[in-house]
Amino acid sequence: MIFSVIHKTTYNYANNVTYCHNLANLKPKTFVGQELLEYELEIEPKPTILKENIDFFGNSVTHFSIEKQHKKLVVTAKSKVKRSYEAQKNASISDECKSVTLEQALAKLKVLSPEIIEAKQYVLDSAFINNISKTIHNYAKKSFQKERSVFEATNELMQRIFKEFKFDASFSTVATPIDEVIEAKKGVCQDFAQVAIACIRSMGLPARYVSGYIETFPPPGKEKLFGTDASHAWFSVYIPGFGWIDFDPTNNQIPKNQHIIVAYGRDYYDVPPLKGVIYGSGESTLEVAVDIRPFKSENQQQQQQQQQQ
Amino acid sequence: MTKIPITSFFSDYFKDFENYDEVLKSDMTINPNWEKLLTNFSKLGMDELNKKQDDLDWLLAENGVTYNVYNDPNGLNRPWNLNIIPFVIDQKEWKTIEKGLQQRAHLLDLVLKDIYGDKKLIKDGIVPSEIIYAHRGFLRPCHQIQYNTAQQLVMHSADLARGPDGRMWVVNDRTEAPSGMGYALENRFSVREVVPDFFKEINVKQPFGFFKDFNDLLINSAATNKENPTIVILTPGPHNETYFEHAYLSSFLGYPLVKGNDLVVRDNKVWIKTLKGLIQVDVIYRRVDDAYSDPLELKGDSYLGVAGLLNVVRAKNVSIINPIGSGVLENPGLIPFMNSICKYFLKEDLLLPQIASWWCGQEKERKYVLENIRKLVVKPIDNTKREHIYFCEFLSDKEIEALKKEILAKPYRYVAQEKISFSTAPNLTKDSLEPRKVMCRTFAVAKENSYSIMPGGLVRVAAERKKLSVSNQKGGTSKDFWVTNNANKSFKKRQRFHWHHSSSNIFSGIENLPSNTAENLFWSGRYLARTLVTARYIRMVLNQMTNSEFNKRESDTESLHILYQSITHLTSIFPGFTGKNKEKAIENPLEEIAIVLFDKTQMGSLAHALSSFNNSYYTLRNLWSKDIWRVFDTLKKDWNGFDKKDHHNVQKLSKLLDTIITKLIAFIGLIEESILVDQGLLLYFIGLQMEQAIMTIDKSRALLTISYNEDVEYEILESLLNSHESLNIYRYSFKSYLDIENVIKLILLDDAYSRSLKYQLNRIRRDVFRLPKRTNDAELTTLETTILKACDMIENAKSSTLIQVDENGFTRTELEELLASLSDLIHNTSMSLTDMYFNHSDEQIQLINQNYTN
Repeated sequence: MIFSVIHKTTYNYANNVTYCHNLANLKPKTFVGQELLEYELEIEPKPTILKENIDFFGNSVTHFSIEKQHKKLVVTAKSKVKRSYEAQKNASISDECKSVTLEQALAKLKVLSPEIIEAKQYVLDSAFINNISKTIHNYAKKSFQKERSVFEATNELMQRIFKEFKFDASFSTVATPIDEVIEAKKGVCQDFAQVAIACIRSMGLPARYVSGYIETFPPPGKEKLFGTDASHAWFSVYIPGFGWIDFDPTNNQIPKNQHIIVAYGRDYYDVPPLKGVIYGSGESTLEVAVDIRPFKSENQQQQQQQQQQ
Repeated sequence: MTKIPITSFFSDYFKDFENYDEVLKSDMTINPNWEKLLTNFSKLGMDELNKKQDDLDWLLAENGVTYNVYNDPNGLNRPWNLNIIPFVIDQKEWKTIEKGLQQRAHLLDLVLKDIYGDKKLIKDGIVPSEIIYAHRGFLRPCHQIQYNTAQQLVMHSADLARGPDGRMWVVNDRTEAPSGMGYALENRFSVREVVPDFFKEINVKQPFGFFKDFNDLLINSAATNKENPTIVILTPGPHNETYFEHAYLSSFLGYPLVKGNDLVVRDNKVWIKTLKGLIQVDVIYRRVDDAYSDPLELKGDSYLGVAGLLNVVRAKNVSIINPIGSGVLENPGLIPFMNSICKYFLKEDLLLPQIASWWCGQEKERKYVLENIRKLVVKPIDNTKREHIYFCEFLSDKEIEALKKEILAKPYRYVAQEKISFSTAPNLTKDSLEPRKVMCRTFAVAKENSYSIMPGGLVRVAAERKKLSVSNQKGGTSKDFWVTNNANKSFKKRQRFHWHHSSSNIFSGIENLPSNTAENLFWSGRYLARTLVTARYIRMVLNQMTNSEFNKRESDTESLHILYQSITHLTSIFPGFTGKNKEKAIENPLEEIAIVLFDKTQMGSLAHALSSFNNSYYTLRNLWSKDIWRVFDTLKKDWNGFDKKDHHNVQKLSKLLDTIITKLIAFIGLIEESILVDQGLLLYFIGLQMEQAIMTIDKSRALLTISYNEDVEYEILESLLNSHESLNIYRYSFKSYLDIENVIKLILLDDAYSRSLKYQLNRIRRDVFRLPKRTNDAELTTLETTILKACDMIENAKSSTLIQVDENGFTRTELEELLASLSDLIHNTSMSLTDMYFNHSDEQIQLINQNYTN
């Protein structure tokens, strides 16, 4: 399955901005099961400095600065991504993997191997997920028991969050603490992912944040409008001996070909799509438009047009 | 010399406290290393020692040596304490310590490179990953950054204390932005100045070679402009606890002291904002904490750093000393593993002993800690937020239970250490010597492939006799640290600190003046002028009040009321003597005058001007000479020492103002001869003249634009000239009865009189035209046209027109209009100056607000 993804972010400033320094986590990853075929980052006004680095977590980060006065900043990431979930590790989750209990998993985490050492950092506190509360721990305990399978428990946790939490974009911002989210049981994908991560870490297991996109479909019979998608986030749990398995609590599903992965981190703070420091004064407004649709080559497009005519 | 006089000093030394001591052994014999020094003490005698201690306290206070304590009820700038009795270590022992310190710095350098590089220590199981990954000082954005210098950890400090086995033990490592070397240097200078006798026949190693090595390190670490690198010292500002030291090192080393907003990242390089424009910075000696250094990649809400800095480091376009991220080594979690690390990297044992420590992340160790907690000291692995260190023997059962719970919740975040009784050394306290716990901070800087160690360092002494912990934050005092060489009998001549700067000072010349320094100098000038003019004016009013009490003339009462109101106009502290408040204020004028003088919260008050000046003054402290400090210090003492109950005592107020005015004048005179115009005095002059001009205008508007009857007018004119210190000149120039036209000629329109408005405006114009041009453009800038217009306006003014009274027989509209326009023009001059040269007006804003707390 090949997707074309357009992620356009526009900042309008009330007053002139003298200069700004930014970083973008917008480039989809390449790994077995996902291949980045084309990628282009358009920035307007043209940046003075633009440099791509690989961060601590292995994500590609683009640093850029704009050093002339501007009142508007537009960042557009265009990519073509080939997704073949079947090829991915843990594509089909084996019974063996499903049978690992919490107790067994915790024991295995004590036997140090390079992979376990790497995974274990995702048990520790991170910028947005720290000093995990009793409420979260208790919420997690309802699904996680010593002798219960980690996979089953995580799957149930995902379902519970999907059922019990209300999607409400007006409730939270990027900096809403998870304690408020679990209290109100409202939020967006990022909040749900972070609550789930906190729950899993409270049990002593590694969990990480996944930032990316999901393909959405228009109501039946309607044409899909441009820019109605959004950047998305979900979480991943580490099952010792098998590796990372993704769960999407916003959509109550294990991500497959509709999910495109951009970056892994401990939480949102490690991988925001865009962040920056600007020098100027006054307010700014933000517009984000994301569009994901199956890629059609020019041939396909022509054929389609001919059929329609 | 017999031993009796020496030990007599120690008669009550151990009266209620027995400890392992540096000088006195339990059999009451003296450590031979201290003998010579104690002999020198005995020669002075106890009385003399006490006197010298007073001299030392005085010297430090006069030199403005301070240490800030956060949330200190006594306010900022607590005086630095230095006990007159030095701390002595013999060269032979020091050599061993030096080797140990070099090994430790080398080892920690390897650890730092590994943590941010290949992570072999973690992968090979030498160091548990949590000790690094759960430490707040581990900054993931610094992962895999490559540096210019051979060493990554180029500065290292350790706190040492003597353990029960008689060896010096490492208690802490300081790597993030180690403080203390400036204080150590100032301690040495001070002791040498006050008690040169102490050094008699004792060979004390001097730290100057070390400072040369430090300076070489700064120069050699530059990757860009190697020939003549630009080096700056980055400080969080005057509120930081060791700000004194930042300013001290800035003037000692000759590198500008800058704050984050003086620097800017452009074109992937770091620049300093100067009057002329931007100059590339090659090396930053950093005293801002790691996490605050770059709001783009680290703490987003930090205003102390420079956005984009880490990316410049990545591009190797700037060197930062120590590199951002080195705070992860301030990590007691590493202590239990240091010996294994040493074997792993160097295949040898650690030379310096450390305190036995248990990391609670390991099961066996945790069990031991929980079972023996009462005997232990528990610390979190990162002390970067000054979390509590738990001395468990002093905790209640409830507190112990709470601590145990915390440890169990996140065992990997805690380390427990054995409680050690470290040695004491003699401290002079009120007529006797007392044993106090001491801790020695050492300093290492990278030199070639090893480290140069400061001979000695900073010794800190516990605040009270029985205190366990030693820290300047918690009070306490310090000592000069002597490394003595008794074997070498040749006494070297005093070494002096001087070396040839291989680079010429890039910051000479007014165009290269850092904008922030320029701005502070400008405001220093303005606040000083405001302080002086206000003080003189109030003094004049107070004198008039006293006079009118004797005379009781009608005209006096009226003129006095006019003067009261003019105070309100001059200071803009409304309603004051105007509006509805008028009657009440005039009834009890001293009430209102006390506000104008002492209410710091009122903008325009004398206290406010003085305290605003004080802020700029501290920010610029590297520019001021010692004499300047002393004069200002006594001025502040007079001001702050004025008794509140005398706030309504006219005589005492007048006397206070007399003293303040005299000292201000001395101070202003000193400034003018101690700083070069090119060093920034030009900006100070512009500020000073501008404020004086503004206040001359305000006074004239309040007193001259309304016509009064002859008697009152006479009183008013006399008062105005008095407050302007111009009465004598008036008499000399006009030899006449006071007359409005002549007064206007003298204080507004005179060409040559330095207190006249015209002179002041022309002076501002001259100085403004001496400022560096931002562009090569020949066209006049807004700044230039504005001041030119003001000068033209006053040039064309005629006294005969200005004195015209309107048909209503009341106001001098021409005069009022001229003064109002000039006031606006000066205000605009100030604004364009700020826009053009200071340019700190841009706010730093996060694109998306994503702060976190933990």
